[in-house]
Amino acid sequence: MIDPALYDQARDRIAAAGFTPEIQTKITLLLCTAKNGNLMFHSGVQWMQNLNVVQQFILSQYSRELEAVTLLSRTTQWSKDPALAMEGSRIVAPLMLAWGQIMLPPGPMLNPQAAYRGISLGHAQLARIRLLPVIPENADPLNPFVVALQRIEQENGRMLQTQIRLLKNIATEIPVEEREALVEQDQELVDGVFNDFLNWLAAP
Amino acid sequence: MPTVQFGHHQVHYELTGEPGQPVITFLNGLTQNANLWKSYADYFVPRGYRVLAYDMLGQGRSSKPVIDIKLAMHADLLDHLLEQLDIEKTHLASISFGGIVGLDFAIRYGHRLHSLTAMSTFAELTQQLDLLGAVMLQGLAEVGLPYLQSMLYPMNMSSDWIAANRERIPAMKRAGYIGNDGYAMQNLMESFVEFQPLTPDLHKIKVPTLIMNGEFDFFTPRECHEVIRSKVKNSRLLIIQRAYHAFTLEMPAVTMRQLEIFLDQVSTKTWQGDQSVWIAADDPSAEVQWLPCAGDWMRAVQPATVPPATKAPARRKAPTRKKAP
Repeated sequence: MIDPALYDQARDRIAAAGFTPEIQTKITLLLCTAKNGNLMFHSGVQWMQNLNVVQQFILSQYSRELEAVTLLSRTTQWSKDPALAMEGSRIVAPLMLAWGQIMLPPGPMLNPQAAYRGISLGHAQLARIRLLPVIPENADPLNPFVVALQRIEQENGRMLQTQIRLLKNIATEIPVEEREALVEQDQELVDGVFNDFLNWLAAP
Repeated sequence: MPTVQFGHHQVHYELTGEPGQPVITFLNGLTQNANLWKSYADYFVPRGYRVLAYDMLGQGRSSKPVIDIKLAMHADLLDHLLEQLDIEKTHLASISFGGIVGLDFAIRYGHRLHSLTAMSTFAELTQQLDLLGAVMLQGLAEVGLPYLQSMLYPMNMSSDWIAANRERIPAMKRAGYIGNDGYAMQNLMESFVEFQPLTPDLHKIKVPTLIMNGEFDFFTPRECHEVIRSKVKNSRLLIIQRAYHAFTLEMPAVTMRQLEIFLDQVSTKTWQGDQSVWIAADDPSAEVQWLPCAGDWMRAVQPATVPPATKAPARRKAPTRKKAP
């Protein structure tokens, strides 16, 4: 669960300081890590056997995640402070570790448990990492970084449909209760990272 | 944060008031949460009630399952929650999505109820509701949660309320966006795929039932409430004047007063469930609160009977158009 007060603190900080290079860098480090993990997973499963119509959605999500990373990276005013990258890496480490576990040999293409976990973690990221509430009312709506954040969040909601349909309908031997527990576990993981991130974003 | 475990799900609840007092349980609409009943708790607790409100699965601080929530699960959850809180019987007040859960609960767990209040709700999907639900779901999936939020304000509230709160709406939307999750809402909406009409079982509801419907509610219009009124023998239909779908939020003082009158009638055993139709007074301090409804409550206009001798007013003839050369 994400503490609603953290959104307010982060928004107030951005309202006071503006979208500084430090703030933009922090946001981009988080989003790009999440999206690169999902990208890696999608590149690993797009040629799985018997995907049928799902393959189109997987290839599409792969491309859209790639677009998001590119859009964000080129609209970000990057900070030159290497300490930000180090602290950012610490905060997103649980995500990197989780994606790393999913991609361990033989990889999700040959490991149904890892494939399900990848869908579940992708769902948790797309559903729970939401940055619209930290954009202050006084932000310039034409600021390229703000526009990028808004577009990415709207696109996340659309992409999430693939994960929702797969989590609900995928043919798997994993019992429903176990699947729900797995999904909740990933949500808690992502919530933990995002709580830490919002604290970091709110810090001066 | 008080929670109860339901299977592997957490259910967040708020229970206020002294133990031993009669309990009123409130059931939320789709995008609502337990906090929204706080003013109701502030009203009813000093009047000798306990108030229970909770976030249903998929809402607020309760678990938000991704894979499946059967509609029937919500009534089972309420039964479990009452069990865990040692509440043998409760008055149940429910709105919109929660109203369906309330009807289902009254059908299957009626022995746990003192009374039922069903507000802005339905027992079966009319053709309009079916299509409205589909377009809401489409908007949520294809455009996103902010779109659905924007769509719901004009559907739920009056122009007067919107005019008075226009400046605050972005902040309210933001709070709603933080508190709700699009996928969880989608899951709740998709539970209607297997929805079976409750109408054939409404006759099983035996407890005193107050059905409340906003005069101008075009989301769940009169026909939805009429189905419930006509099938539940121990009921009355109360129309809230000039109200839209979310009158519990827009007109809390009026709603609380009507609920208080109903609960008093139930507890003093003066309630008469005769399927009659009433209109709530605009002013919650008025001496007479329930006014009998004259005329056809299913109609929005009441045509006067025209005596046969009366001539219809002359109609102005439309000017004839000259043909273009």
